[in-house]
Amino acid sequence: MLKMKSKSKTITRRLVSILAIIIAFAMALSGCGDKETGDADTTDTPKIAYYAYFSEPILDWDPSVEFSSGTIVLNNIYETLLRYNPEEDSFEPILATEYTHSEDGMLWTFTLREGVKFHDGTVMDAEAVKFSIDRTINLGKGASYVWDAVKEIRVVEPYKVEFELKYPAPIDLISSCCYSSFIMSPTAVNEDYENWAAGGKEAGTGPYMLQSTKMGEEVILTQFPDYWGGWEGEHFSKVLIKKVPETASRRQMVETGEADVTVELPYEDVQALSGVEAVNINRAASFNNLTVFMNNLKEPLNDVKVRQALSYAFPYEDVIKYAMGDYAKQSKGPVPAGLWGHGKDLPQYETDLEKARTLLAEAGYADGFKLLLTYMSGDEAEKKSAELFKSELNKIGVDLEIRAMPWESQWELSRHTDPNERQDMMMMYWWPDYASPYSYLYNMFHSEEEPMYNLSYYSNETFDNMIDEANVLSASDRVKAEEMFIEAQEILIEEAAAIFAYDKEFVWVTNSSFAGLNNNPVYPNVVFFYDTYRTK
Amino acid sequence: MKSFIFKRLLLGIAVLFGVVVITFFLTRIIPSNPAAKWVGPRATPEQIKQATIELGLDQPKHIQFLRYLKDVLRGDFGRSLRSHQPITEEIKKYAPATLELVLLATVFAVFAGIPLGVISAKRKDSWIDHLSRFFSVGAVSLPTFWVGLFLQLIFYRSLGWLPLGDQLGTEIKLLYEIPHVTGLLMLDSLLTGRWIIFKDALVHIILPCITISLYPIGLVARMTRSALLEILGEDYITAARSYGLKERVVLWSYALRNSLGPTSTVVTLSIGYTLVNTFLVEAIFSWPGIGTYISTAVTGLDYPAIMGVTVFSAVAYVILNLISDIIIAMDPRVRV
Repeated sequence: MLKMKSKSKTITRRLVSILAIIIAFAMALSGCGDKETGDADTTDTPKIAYYAYFSEPILDWDPSVEFSSGTIVLNNIYETLLRYNPEEDSFEPILATEYTHSEDGMLWTFTLREGVKFHDGTVMDAEAVKFSIDRTINLGKGASYVWDAVKEIRVVEPYKVEFELKYPAPIDLISSCCYSSFIMSPTAVNEDYENWAAGGKEAGTGPYMLQSTKMGEEVILTQFPDYWGGWEGEHFSKVLIKKVPETASRRQMVETGEADVTVELPYEDVQALSGVEAVNINRAASFNNLTVFMNNLKEPLNDVKVRQALSYAFPYEDVIKYAMGDYAKQSKGPVPAGLWGHGKDLPQYETDLEKARTLLAEAGYADGFKLLLTYMSGDEAEKKSAELFKSELNKIGVDLEIRAMPWESQWELSRHTDPNERQDMMMMYWWPDYASPYSYLYNMFHSEEEPMYNLSYYSNETFDNMIDEANVLSASDRVKAEEMFIEAQEILIEEAAAIFAYDKEFVWVTNSSFAGLNNNPVYPNVVFFYDTYRTK
Repeated sequence: MKSFIFKRLLLGIAVLFGVVVITFFLTRIIPSNPAAKWVGPRATPEQIKQATIELGLDQPKHIQFLRYLKDVLRGDFGRSLRSHQPITEEIKKYAPATLELVLLATVFAVFAGIPLGVISAKRKDSWIDHLSRFFSVGAVSLPTFWVGLFLQLIFYRSLGWLPLGDQLGTEIKLLYEIPHVTGLLMLDSLLTGRWIIFKDALVHIILPCITISLYPIGLVARMTRSALLEILGEDYITAARSYGLKERVVLWSYALRNSLGPTSTVVTLSIGYTLVNTFLVEAIFSWPGIGTYISTAVTGLDYPAIMGVTVFSAVAYVILNLISDIIIAMDPRVRV
């Protein structure tokens, strides 16, 4: 017994001595733990902005390729030639100070800002601009197709660059696109032309540089001391953009001030926060709208009267109220409010079951029929909208089956080689790559040989010609182009090519100490942190 | 003994092979287009066709499977459809945070669960015993995500004592260089003597650690209690008591030692459970570990990533099972 007792004591003693050694070792390595403040700048505590984002802040670090949420990061690191302001329909000079174009819109000349440096020290000039856009076009990834009209880019003077086009196109709008229009340092890129940015490298001219990143998780930005705009006045010196998937967490963080800004909170949360003093809620226009496509190639939706009947049966008000919590407005045609080309006076379908019934009877479908509607699984608003639509259709004898599918799957189904195998209806959100009505009208309604995003399979030569012509015209005469775009939409509405459900409203939730945030729907979810500051 | 371990090892390999087969074909059955996912939204048909060839998706299924199997054997899980980065690399980046959490929660569970079980057994049927049993049952049966949100509500929202989530505070993360030795943040900051980082990491790990360890604590406490009660009735305990040894020594040195066998089995097995549980807890606490990684992969239908993490977890589970089998086999009272 005694032996056993002493044995357990020995073990304890040994354990204690091992622990002591570990601690002593750690202390020795640390220089006795007095170095803590060594690596932090104690003289001037930096001001930090925190953006709690709902998904990965960035997927691909290549500014020529990223065509996803990464725009929220890249727009603080890189800059474009111009920035478009849709509210005033004006351009803010960024890397270009001025620009001109030929009368036919085939030749565009940009004068560049002098004295701008990339984060790696390289000077930003006409060569760099040519290099960047050429690279984006050559790689052919992401949103590079926005540059499709470009035939050649020429360096005219060290700070003057010229775009010669294959056909007229609005290069001012394209060069302010929030994807694929960034100017990057040729020196940095040339180290490994295709993969230099992999895993988190950058070489922009923007106000912030990348300090560190954890892929798929967070991005830490720090101010670029040589930024051409200077650092006078109130600015944040560091920015943290982090993925916080839990909506409850995002809400609490903004309430307590741990985070400054967040987006994509459920409408219930936004409503609950509306009386809270520590939080500001900013409702703003977005260019995101929901379209319900109708299979124009398949019975009974190939009959225009049936499509009109369904457009009358859609419960617009209920959907906006119950599915969107009133954070949306009924669409007028496919081009959303706030974007040029939106027709204020275009007709709208209103929910009117009597009219729907009459139209169905006229079309010979008084007894109703069965339809399949698919929507993206996980999207609550689409789900609720589909359910509301189903109950409305039920009243006029149409039996609607609704099916949630992952985006890729429903898209796959909608592109089935046999139109009769495809779903009858499908919901989809659209947002523009660059701020033009053509993005909506061409992608969703222009005739296609193989379906891509024209998922009503709508085909109308008159309409096609009108929008193609208007697009060419938009390079030289925006006013005339706008008229034509609006006129073209009248055809779509008359023929009920699809159901134009709602234009989404964008909701920024910020802590009340965070100021300077300007919503710009051309740059969705983007906070231009250089413009923001702390008020207290 | 050796042949026992060998047999177990073979069984483990068979299980892993099964997991690879099932995950591979399951992800192929679900309707989706990985090539479209790879090139991202708004891709052109040419880009998608190109990606289909690049990813080998134009090959017959069995060829695809053999390729995948060959790659997995070399530790290569392919590339993520979303980030285009090698999944093995991504798992390596995310695993340490999860490992740290699981290890700490397990250690905590052992040091909290065993004393709880011992006290409970010692004072059987007293109010302490009832309370501890009530706690153990509660700890095992409460849903983890509920506990996590509840703790956040109390300690972050109401009291403001502890942070909401993440591994480090914003300022620490931005202003200090984070040491990187083993990848385990707390260990690294300790090794390099970065006390301020260690302290911050410790404060941040408390809530997720408690949330995760509740289940193993309850399990360990109950196991220890029942094992002890059985042993305390044995003749040699009566003998030890009759020698006049102190009750403390009888309980903690004699009885407890012999009850540790079943307890350690439970602990090892519960690590597997804890690992899976962590996936949920990490999402709640924005903990940058495997759980956060897999939840993004699942919602984004990133098949290679889902398969990679599934196989990775299966390997961890098989190894833990093997260890617990060996522990049991080492007990001389068990014949194998």
